[in-house]
Amino acid sequence: MDKTLEKTEIKESPAAPAQGGKLVISSSPHFLNTESIPKIMHTVVMALFPATAASVYFFGFRALLLILVCIGACLVTEYAFQKIRNKPVKIYDGSAAITGILLAFTLPPGFPIYGAILGSVFAIGVGKMLFGGLGYNIFNPALLGRAFLMATYPVLTTTWVEPRTVQKAVDAVSAATPLAMMKFEGKFAPLSDLFIGNVAGSLGETSVIAILIGGLYLRYKGYVNWKLPLGYLGTIAVFSGIFWLINPAKYPSPLFHVCAGGAMLAAWFMVTDMVTSPTTALGQWIFVICAGILAVIIRLFGGLPEGVMYSILFMNAFVPLLNKHTRPKVFGEGYKVQ
Amino acid sequence: MAENNTSLFYEFKKGLWQDIPPFRLVLGTCPTLAVTNSVINGIAMGLATLFVLLGANIIISALRKYIASQVRIAAYVVIIALLVTVADMFLAAKFPPISKSLGPYVPLIIVNCIILGRAEAFAQKNPVVPSIMDALGIGIGFTLSLATMGFIRELLGFGSVLNIKLLGEWFEPWIVMILPAGAFLVYGGLVALVNYISSRKTPGTETL
Amino acid sequence: MNNLTKMFLNLTVIGAFAGVVLSGVFSVADPLIQANKQKELKESIFKVLPEAKDYRKIEKKIGAEDFTVYLGIDANQKPIGVAFKADGGGFQGNVGVMVGLEMDYLNLKGIEILDQVETPGLGDRIREPQFKDQFKGVDVKPKVEYIKFRKPEKPNQIQAITGATISSNAVVVNINRAVEKVLTNFPLEEITKAQSGTVQPAAAPASKETGNGGK
Repeated sequence: MDKTLEKTEIKESPAAPAQGGKLVISSSPHFLNTESIPKIMHTVVMALFPATAASVYFFGFRALLLILVCIGACLVTEYAFQKIRNKPVKIYDGSAAITGILLAFTLPPGFPIYGAILGSVFAIGVGKMLFGGLGYNIFNPALLGRAFLMATYPVLTTTWVEPRTVQKAVDAVSAATPLAMMKFEGKFAPLSDLFIGNVAGSLGETSVIAILIGGLYLRYKGYVNWKLPLGYLGTIAVFSGIFWLINPAKYPSPLFHVCAGGAMLAAWFMVTDMVTSPTTALGQWIFVICAGILAVIIRLFGGLPEGVMYSILFMNAFVPLLNKHTRPKVFGEGYKVQ
Repeated sequence: MAENNTSLFYEFKKGLWQDIPPFRLVLGTCPTLAVTNSVINGIAMGLATLFVLLGANIIISALRKYIASQVRIAAYVVIIALLVTVADMFLAAKFPPISKSLGPYVPLIIVNCIILGRAEAFAQKNPVVPSIMDALGIGIGFTLSLATMGFIRELLGFGSVLNIKLLGEWFEPWIVMILPAGAFLVYGGLVALVNYISSRKTPGTETL
Repeated sequence: MNNLTKMFLNLTVIGAFAGVVLSGVFSVADPLIQANKQKELKESIFKVLPEAKDYRKIEKKIGAEDFTVYLGIDANQKPIGVAFKADGGGFQGNVGVMVGLEMDYLNLKGIEILDQVETPGLGDRIREPQFKDQFKGVDVKPKVEYIKFRKPEKPNQIQAITGATISSNAVVVNINRAVEKVLTNFPLEEITKAQSGTVQPAAAPASKETGNGGK
């Protein structure tokens, strides 16, 4: 875990000039730091609270139920794997709970409970424990769980409801997400609705304002490296802006892209996942820029309306490579002895 | 050659577990992943491969003394291609739906490593009878492997086995199991399972 | 016998043997394979033109490709519609649709999915009657359209399968493209002439062939 790095605002690869005269450091060696994994994780849980509240407001207690089920299933799976493999049980460090919350945030409000459990088991079991547990996983477990559910229940994962209708239980009004409306009907949802979250979508992704509050709190606590969320959102904005300038009638504005779908949630809570993002500054830039471009390409030209999930999972796969090739040279490395 | 019954039986038996192609030898993975989205497809593919393997082993082991070693691979490939084409035409003529769902994977048996591998590793060095036993063992092992893959994927992906609904209405099929991703997941799981069982069966002899 | 001769003989004999066996198997299997294909084609034509008892094949070159239209006729030798194949890309590969068109060239009589490799359980639901049967009676002018989540409102609309818009779209696009070809290249008069030609063999139309269907 490179949490400590993020915190100390440190370092930078020699490839980039030192910023503001700050001393910068990045990949190993790291300093020891008093931050513990549980403390960081619990702060992240706190930061997810506004979005949780928003999801309950817009999608009712069904949303809360889904979130609790996902957390529970993730904890049980982690516990079971650690028991079976005779490893110390570390479910209280909060990382499994975060995976559960984030997975639930990517699910539609009407998603069945058994599906949520299946996704959680896959996210923790295959996405994390099979790789060796926290710190060894290549892919973001929550997104992997969501990708698995997407392939497993393609209809259920893309059946959305109108916000504020779920309360009446059975007759939730089915609706299209803003991105699906853009893609298949050429209609753009108003930005104000997107910002507040009054649109159809996954539990935790609709309310931009709630996510921003949580994200900025994390930034304030120093657990988020600003490059990652801003780089990701910035790339989405710039790249989609190019198309918007070419044809504003056909392509929506950059702000729409930043606010619609899972971009905001992913930028603050998934791109920044410390295990599955690069550790060097150059690597982080490459990571977020490529992911941002991919997300826009999938949204505008791909078969699916939303590309955020696959853009991050795809770039996750490159993280070991990025870490390896953007690592600062050790002093003296590269010189040949004659 | 004086082959006694125990060793003949051994040649047969080894294909069923010890050298079971997709899981222990990790050969023939292309059809294993590609056509096992239902039990019937798995069995049809396995039997087509068994037929080709048996024919190739018989012909190659019978001709082993006459084929010049410099051109043996070319000769084997022609023989295998002949058998595969016969199998392909047979399926297209008699079982058009199966032929359609197996698509290009029947012609691709030609490049299935299991067949050329058995020809090189076994048939060209051994008499006809052991070669038959070898082909039967490996071929049946392969068929069983594909059927197992097909069973798991069809059960989870459609809720049925051999087109008979086993799981009721309550079961929401896991579409992923019929997709390529599901093939990889099931395959990985089965390789792990087979390795786990055999590492427990014979402690000390680590898996491949 | 030196080694070179041996190699030469090896490959020649094996090659010749393989050739002989293959031609033997082919001569037995090929008629069966062709019959299977013919049967499949015939069945799909009669499915999209349910009243047809027989059909005539009319071929024409459009650009570089051959396009075939099957004119369905009922027991009284009356033309009751045309059928033709519409191919095009879907989500994962070709989606081949047999399209049946009314004799007035205004409405579809029905469609049948011939080839598809769409996602099982999702895109391949285009084969299900629930989707296919929507096309019965749909207007082809100006164009077939699909809409989502709602029941069709206009006579030229069908409802797409939820979660499988790409596959639904492929079917609609392929149908429109093929209908367009038929409307421009096989005008009604020509088709009817071909038909009358079959009634009076003396008129000998360009190219036709009687399918011995209806058995």
